[in-house]
Amino acid sequence: MIWVDGVLVSIGEGGVYGERTLSGKRVWNPYRSKLAAYYHLGGDVEIDRLTRVLYLGAAHGTTVSHVADYAEIVYAVENACIPMRDLLAVAARRRNIIPLFADATRPREYAPLVETVHLLIEDVAHPDQAGIAIANSVFLEAGGAAILAIKARSIDVSRSPREVVDEVCRTLSGSPLVVGKVIWLEPYHRDHAIMVCRKIGPCTEEKE
Amino acid sequence: MASYWFGDVEGGVCRPFPGREPDALSERLDLLIEKDDPYVPFTWEFARECGFVHSREEYVGVLRSLCTMRAEKELGRIAGTPEMELVYMVRMLDQIDEAANLLTGRALEWHAAKDPAFSRKFRELRGQKAREVLAGSKNPVLSSIATEMAHLSEVRSALSREITALAADVMPNTSGLVGGVVAARLLSGAGGLSRLARLPGATIQVMGARIALFSHLRSGTPPPKHGIIYQHRRVHAAGKARRGKVSRTLAAKLAIAARIDYYRGRPDPGFLESAGQAIDRAGGRR
Repeated sequence: MIWVDGVLVSIGEGGVYGERTLSGKRVWNPYRSKLAAYYHLGGDVEIDRLTRVLYLGAAHGTTVSHVADYAEIVYAVENACIPMRDLLAVAARRRNIIPLFADATRPREYAPLVETVHLLIEDVAHPDQAGIAIANSVFLEAGGAAILAIKARSIDVSRSPREVVDEVCRTLSGSPLVVGKVIWLEPYHRDHAIMVCRKIGPCTEEKE
Repeated sequence: MASYWFGDVEGGVCRPFPGREPDALSERLDLLIEKDDPYVPFTWEFARECGFVHSREEYVGVLRSLCTMRAEKELGRIAGTPEMELVYMVRMLDQIDEAANLLTGRALEWHAAKDPAFSRKFRELRGQKAREVLAGSKNPVLSSIATEMAHLSEVRSALSREITALAADVMPNTSGLVGGVVAARLLSGAGGLSRLARLPGATIQVMGARIALFSHLRSGTPPPKHGIIYQHRRVHAAGKARRGKVSRTLAAKLAIAARIDYYRGRPDPGFLESAGQAIDRAGGRR
């Protein structure tokens, strides 16, 4: 990750959504992007020039544009029409974004297109976030990281955010995704957490 | 055999797809998705070994143009439907209403400040009447604002008529039950006819009562009885004690109507009549 005086930045063509630039680099605002908040709060999953990323819930392509500045390629899945329009505009100017207009709950719709990736990022507002992550973990290499942005209030408003995260953890147990760390995104985002998982492969499984 | 967008791999032997044209690749992809074979992970090197591409750059380039083409095509298909047009039209209508109300309120306040004898009490000062008061103002800016608002009101009526006509075509049964504009608002709330047709009646009942519903879920205040459907005559005209029952019946019938609209697409007079009777019965009328 690239920092300029404590500010997270990425290097790429600016002007995607009116972001500020700092000595020619694009400022990645933690108040707007949950992923940026994660890095500000000590997140250590690095994205580099070799990283292949599957990004679920790409929305308007703002966070995706920053991820694409770091990564080798981003497969960006988005299901809603109006955000997709913006995402296509972003993808038109970044050669390493593959826009996939599909539903992340039905990975078979894009399975023949998506190669094995090193990093899975899930930023969807859906009651079954854990299920979506598990269904999409087939695309993740063994040992690869999955970053889940848990929108606690979108999963269930009537329960406390902590309970919701515990529930997600329980759903993930026994799946190929092993939960590592949970980071709450206060003060940048309320009731949102980032959950970092690792996919177990044949080798890591034996060790445990 | 494992099939990918660029070719089929069987027993370590790969047959590349002949050709690069996004259209042909897209057709192949549709077939693959329909076939729904179990997914076998792959890397782009498969495509190189296949002889489909020579380099990573080429692989990404072809894949990107394929996916962009598919997304654009699908977007065009969805955005061009009369159904989505109806959603945009009714959202515009609601925005016009909001803007017109704000303008009227502000203009009347200003008018009141100029004329100490003026008060809004004991008179229904909305729409046409409010505009007449403002048009009589000595202030030329205020009277020209009144003219503009009259113009906006004409646009609104025209739009509302168009919505009713289009809704009768897109969702004949739903609009037969609650009228075109309310039906279109339900459509807009659900985000499309396919989604509206999948919603349970209970959701349709409280659609548009978001704040009341979440305050009920969070802190146990009484649940909302109605949302958008309150705008329908038979709900808001019903006695207070009956309103919950009427809106429950209406919502249940709307859920059925939306399904008939989506899956059959034709008006069903038999259903409309029996549903209308059920709603009237719920209201205590025959």
